[in-house]
Amino acid sequence: MADPAVRIQSVTKRFDATLAVNDLSLVVPRGSVYGLLGPNGAGKTTTIRMILDIIVPDSGSIEILGQPHLADGVSNRVGYLPEERGLYKKMQVRRVLRFLAELKGVDAKTADARITKWLERLELKTAEKDWGLAKVDELSRGMQQKVQFIGTLLHEPDLVILDEPFSGLDPINSQALKDTIVELKRAGKTVIFSTHLMDNAERLCDSVCIVARGVKVLDGEVAAVKASRGTRNVALAIDGDATGPVRHVLADPMLVTRMDDQNRFFEIELAPKADPQELLRKVVAAGATVRRFELISPSLHQIFLERVGATGVEEGMSGHG
Amino acid sequence: MGKVWVVFKREYIERVRSKWFIIATLLGPVLMGLLIVVPNVLAARTKTSAGLTNVVIIDATGSDLGARVAKSLATSMPNAREPRVRSIKIERLADEEKRATAEVINREALGYVVLDANTMGGKEMRYAGRNATSLVDIGSLERTVRQSLLNMRLENEGIDPGRVAVLTNVRLETKTEKITDRGREGASGMASLFFGYAIALLLYMMIAIYGQSIMRGVLEEKTNRVAEVVVASVKPDILLTGKILGSGSVAVTQVLVWLAMSFLIYLVRVPILELFGAAPAMLGGAIRIPSVDPLVGVALFLFFILGFTFYAALFGAVGAMVSNQEDIQQAAMPVMLLLVSSIIFMSPILLAPSSTLAVTMSLLPFSAPLMMPLRMALIAVPWYEIIGSLVSVTVGSAIAIWLSARIYRVGLLMYGKRPSLKELGRWIRMA
Repeated sequence: MADPAVRIQSVTKRFDATLAVNDLSLVVPRGSVYGLLGPNGAGKTTTIRMILDIIVPDSGSIEILGQPHLADGVSNRVGYLPEERGLYKKMQVRRVLRFLAELKGVDAKTADARITKWLERLELKTAEKDWGLAKVDELSRGMQQKVQFIGTLLHEPDLVILDEPFSGLDPINSQALKDTIVELKRAGKTVIFSTHLMDNAERLCDSVCIVARGVKVLDGEVAAVKASRGTRNVALAIDGDATGPVRHVLADPMLVTRMDDQNRFFEIELAPKADPQELLRKVVAAGATVRRFELISPSLHQIFLERVGATGVEEGMSGHG
Repeated sequence: MGKVWVVFKREYIERVRSKWFIIATLLGPVLMGLLIVVPNVLAARTKTSAGLTNVVIIDATGSDLGARVAKSLATSMPNAREPRVRSIKIERLADEEKRATAEVINREALGYVVLDANTMGGKEMRYAGRNATSLVDIGSLERTVRQSLLNMRLENEGIDPGRVAVLTNVRLETKTEKITDRGREGASGMASLFFGYAIALLLYMMIAIYGQSIMRGVLEEKTNRVAEVVVASVKPDILLTGKILGSGSVAVTQVLVWLAMSFLIYLVRVPILELFGAAPAMLGGAIRIPSVDPLVGVALFLFFILGFTFYAALFGAVGAMVSNQEDIQQAAMPVMLLLVSSIIFMSPILLAPSSTLAVTMSLLPFSAPLMMPLRMALIAVPWYEIIGSLVSVTVGSAIAIWLSARIYRVGLLMYGKRPSLKELGRWIRMA
């Protein structure tokens, strides 16, 4: 079990003029939930596709579960949920799922039993209606997403890779997905997912890697990443709207370098020499009723903004995500 | 390998289950049967009208030509009434024609024939009637008048028309028979010509139809984004191979079903034709099926499989190259041209199956799968040419698959505009 789930070593991929991934190295520990974070066009999908041997890297090496990612049988231990859902529209749901399972080396009989279990679990097969017997294009979009998700897990993979799994999910399905990820981790599986939603990542991931414009910005365990930033951040919550004097205090560059203004909640990065007590005193003096004042580690969101910057988000939006 | 089998199975089963396949497979032989039955039925319908003798013969020749014609017509149709003959002076012709027209209008007669000096001179006769557009009726009348006139002239010269008929009856027919290395084939040369033509056309049809259906299938997988899921589990070349084998087997299945059904229809053709009203006597010239050497059969099968693979791989690559239905026909043009070019040369090769053109076309990988079977049905092709042709198609198919798999691999995940030739080259190097 010493081998990591995925080890990528100085992988580079160029599409014509665009450098999609540049000299990327990362290690995904086994049994962890790993977040691949970055703005659109950062190279997340390209990285995932290279892990799955859908795209061949120009240079570098990739290992999965201790074997080269091209080795026989490796792909049978990996489950993949692509960003764009893909199913044969004219096929019966059960037949599609059996096909996907057989592609991963599961025999038809075993597959059928698992399909029934999953269809029931995700409420696609109820007493009144068995959607498994319908054609894919008769299903709603949400149901198709569930079918795709079942297809990802039917062969009980050791490594599950989800590309932007949260995009387009309603809150209920989003919660169900989070539960499933936690459950997979508990069963000893490794889950990698890409996202640009930092809140999800911060709550779910054991480790993360932030990429921007094809380059790794930082990676490591979430706790370590946050700890390395120190506790130079302050969470401040006040009653009512922030008045002019309060805003004046928060705009003081001697105290505050950066601030995430969420109207009545502020995540503040203190200026290098600033004393948090002085900040609290000035805010109170400015007439604010403070409900919360806490020294915290910066959120992933803050770290992301700080390291990638607004420009990183703006640029390179198009192309291979 | 197991995964080829999984892809193959899906491709085969989903296609065979489709409504389109079932309809085409069942209706194919019915349509072909109709192609055989309908001409027979039409032929049965093109008999002379029963009332052909119900005509007025206006004889202004001053001879007994009218009476002779009437007698001859009556003999050919024993059950009908004898035509009315009116021998008249030429001045009364206009009046007689008016009277006969009235009779036709009142349905007392079908029409009238005018025989005059021109007829005696062997130049023309005239006919007016309700059946004036029936080529069969007019032809029959014409033959009768011509024969009667001829008989009359012969008698005037003192020759017995009966003797003339006997002496001039020379009906020469050619019965052709093919000789091959095995000796006399029995079947006629025309039959093997037809057979060769049919085989080449069938191959062409199946390659065009199923090749393009692979192309559309690939595009569909691409636009559905299924391709990405599948390619995460199997290599693109395995996916492509499975798809080609699957579709090819569907094509073979369809042909086999067609052959079996056609054979059944052939067995019961007589009752069917009777059902359509064709006289059994008309089936006297039974269709003889040329015998096929088992080795030739194997070669035909190989050519079909290899030719199909060659074109299917190219069509598959085209499907992976484009991103939407609008572009696909245009992108498929080069491949279609390659396929059609072999069909264009079919007629010259049919006429001269041993010409340099024929030999060349049956050795080039893109035309060999169609042209070699055609030549093999026509003549005994030397074995080394057959082997050479098979090798050429095999190598051609291998190259086509190799190139296509590379285009396929890159193209499957490329969306947007169709690649230029230069970009295609880069794709091939990149994969």
